[in-house]
Amino acid sequence: MYETQRALATPVRNPRMATVIGRLLGAAFLICFGTGLYSHFLQEPLDWMRFATRPEFLYQITQGTHIIAGIACFPLLLAKLYIVFPDLFAYPPVRGFVHFLERASIALFVGASLVQITIGLLNTFQWYPWPFPFRQVHFALGWVLIGLLVIHIAVKLPLITRYWSKPSSDGAGSDSGSDSGAGNHLVDAVSADRASNAEAVRLWGTTRQGGLTGRVLDYIDATPRPSSRVSRRGFLTTVGVATTAVVALTAGQTFTPLNAVNLFAPRKKGVGQQGVPVNRTSEQAQVAVTALASTWTLTLAVAGTERSFTRAELVALPQTEVRLPIACVEGWSQMATWRGVRLRDLADLMSADPETSFRLISLEERGSFSKTQMGREYVRDSLTLVALELNGETLDLEHGYPARMIAPGRPGVLQTKWLSRIEAIEL
Amino acid sequence: MRADARGSRGEAAGDDIGVKTGVGAQKSSATTSTENAGTGLYPPPAGIAPSTSRRMRSIRLVLLGAGVLLLAWGAFVMFDSVRLTRIPGVALWIAAAIVLHDVFLAPIVFAFGIALRRAGRRVTGTVMAIVQGAIVVGSIVSLVAVPTIVAKNFAPANPTVLPLNYGLNLGIFWLVLAVLTVVVSAWAMLRGRRAVPQENSVR
Repeated sequence: MYETQRALATPVRNPRMATVIGRLLGAAFLICFGTGLYSHFLQEPLDWMRFATRPEFLYQITQGTHIIAGIACFPLLLAKLYIVFPDLFAYPPVRGFVHFLERASIALFVGASLVQITIGLLNTFQWYPWPFPFRQVHFALGWVLIGLLVIHIAVKLPLITRYWSKPSSDGAGSDSGSDSGAGNHLVDAVSADRASNAEAVRLWGTTRQGGLTGRVLDYIDATPRPSSRVSRRGFLTTVGVATTAVVALTAGQTFTPLNAVNLFAPRKKGVGQQGVPVNRTSEQAQVAVTALASTWTLTLAVAGTERSFTRAELVALPQTEVRLPIACVEGWSQMATWRGVRLRDLADLMSADPETSFRLISLEERGSFSKTQMGREYVRDSLTLVALELNGETLDLEHGYPARMIAPGRPGVLQTKWLSRIEAIEL
Repeated sequence: MRADARGSRGEAAGDDIGVKTGVGAQKSSATTSTENAGTGLYPPPAGIAPSTSRRMRSIRLVLLGAGVLLLAWGAFVMFDSVRLTRIPGVALWIAAAIVLHDVFLAPIVFAFGIALRRAGRRVTGTVMAIVQGAIVVGSIVSLVAVPTIVAKNFAPANPTVLPLNYGLNLGIFWLVLAVLTVVVSAWAMLRGRRAVPQENSVR
């Protein structure tokens, strides 16, 4: 085990580097958790919850950040695992029950983190090659991971505080053989041991008695070692460049300035009917017949009164034009111009109490978002429309013809397409 | 007893730092008051070993308690919202992720690093770091990009999902990366020749 650790030792595998990368990764996890919770409660609000409707691109920001931070976790998590990899070969493997618990929590932390970012990424392609439901597992693992993160911080706190700031006088690695100076840790003692062994290999060919293991280790020792400073700086630069690259080459699906270098995101701005990407199609929702039927009406039900509007009647009502992004839980977003009837005006027409929340019902018969709720803050917002037009044209069937909801700061799944009925939720 | 132990540990660490860097023992004993003794590559976790500061210990206990509660809540949410028959699938994926990283990815990276350094033993340390870095950057971008190529083969839900030519984009990316690597390496070599060449110390 010691030989394995020794062979694996490099100047970047030290507690200071683990702290530096660890706090970036921890920050990314916290950002993902916070934005994820926000998205979750937008979709499944508790009764008392009210949400901000401004800025109107709020959800674009929070969910875009969720996906960007999640993608940034790939290089950061791999870097962190690279740094602490020799710890896997700690000897003795288990020093007692508490140590066993600690190692088990690390194993779960590593495995669950890898699974969480992988299923999150694949979900943005709508690709589900796993034997469990995505939404529920992603949400539960979010709590599990935050719990494990807090436990990990508790366990490592002395190390974290010790290595939080740079060791004085750049002890982290002056080149000239002072590898045992301040900020040089046990790992560097291990490196130094390896260096002397390398010298022995150079002089006498080998240092160990026979065996395959010995020969492999000699082979490793005889390999040129980079200087500490170069490898540390190289490592940090590599992690920085890799993180920048994965973020910059995918964030264009939500962050317009990066649209030109959007090489690897699952969505592209402007690609889709009327310049807007589509998540759920009319075919998937099985609404083509009902949505195109000439008998379609939008029914409003408030306090026992029901009134149905044909599309022509809706078009005849005062129209409002708004610029609002459609922002999907999968992390993409698209700004668009919508035109239609203010929901507030329709509610007033039905003399609905301003304090009521509404239930939105789609023509779609199955699907978890065919019936959703809209809190009163969105109902009363001047930007919330029953949209009839998109980017200057009659709403495309794929975007919810004959009428859809569009409200500021809500996830795309709640911007109900193919509207059929809007009910006040009586208290 | 305890004060003694702390004192001597602080001194020892202070000497260590003092010798190499000339930093006063006062400062180092302040930093090491939160330190744990330990053996092995990393000092052992110390939820466990006695902490030397009472404040540190209480912070850690609070964190530990909060973490365990959050973890328990996560487990409850999992069992509450996911059908019991699906949970082994989650466990299997977590276990497979650990195996995939620890048994395959990490050793391959290690072996590849060794092979690369031996192949390029004539190259200066800086250039080697640049080449290694470029390969890592390319691999990580590929890791994020290759699933798009694979998923696109499974007929995406609609034409606005995965609309790009990801294979071509990945090719372009590697090409640009290769050109940048050559340019930056050349620049580093030129700069290295002007400066005193001290970076290729094999020690």
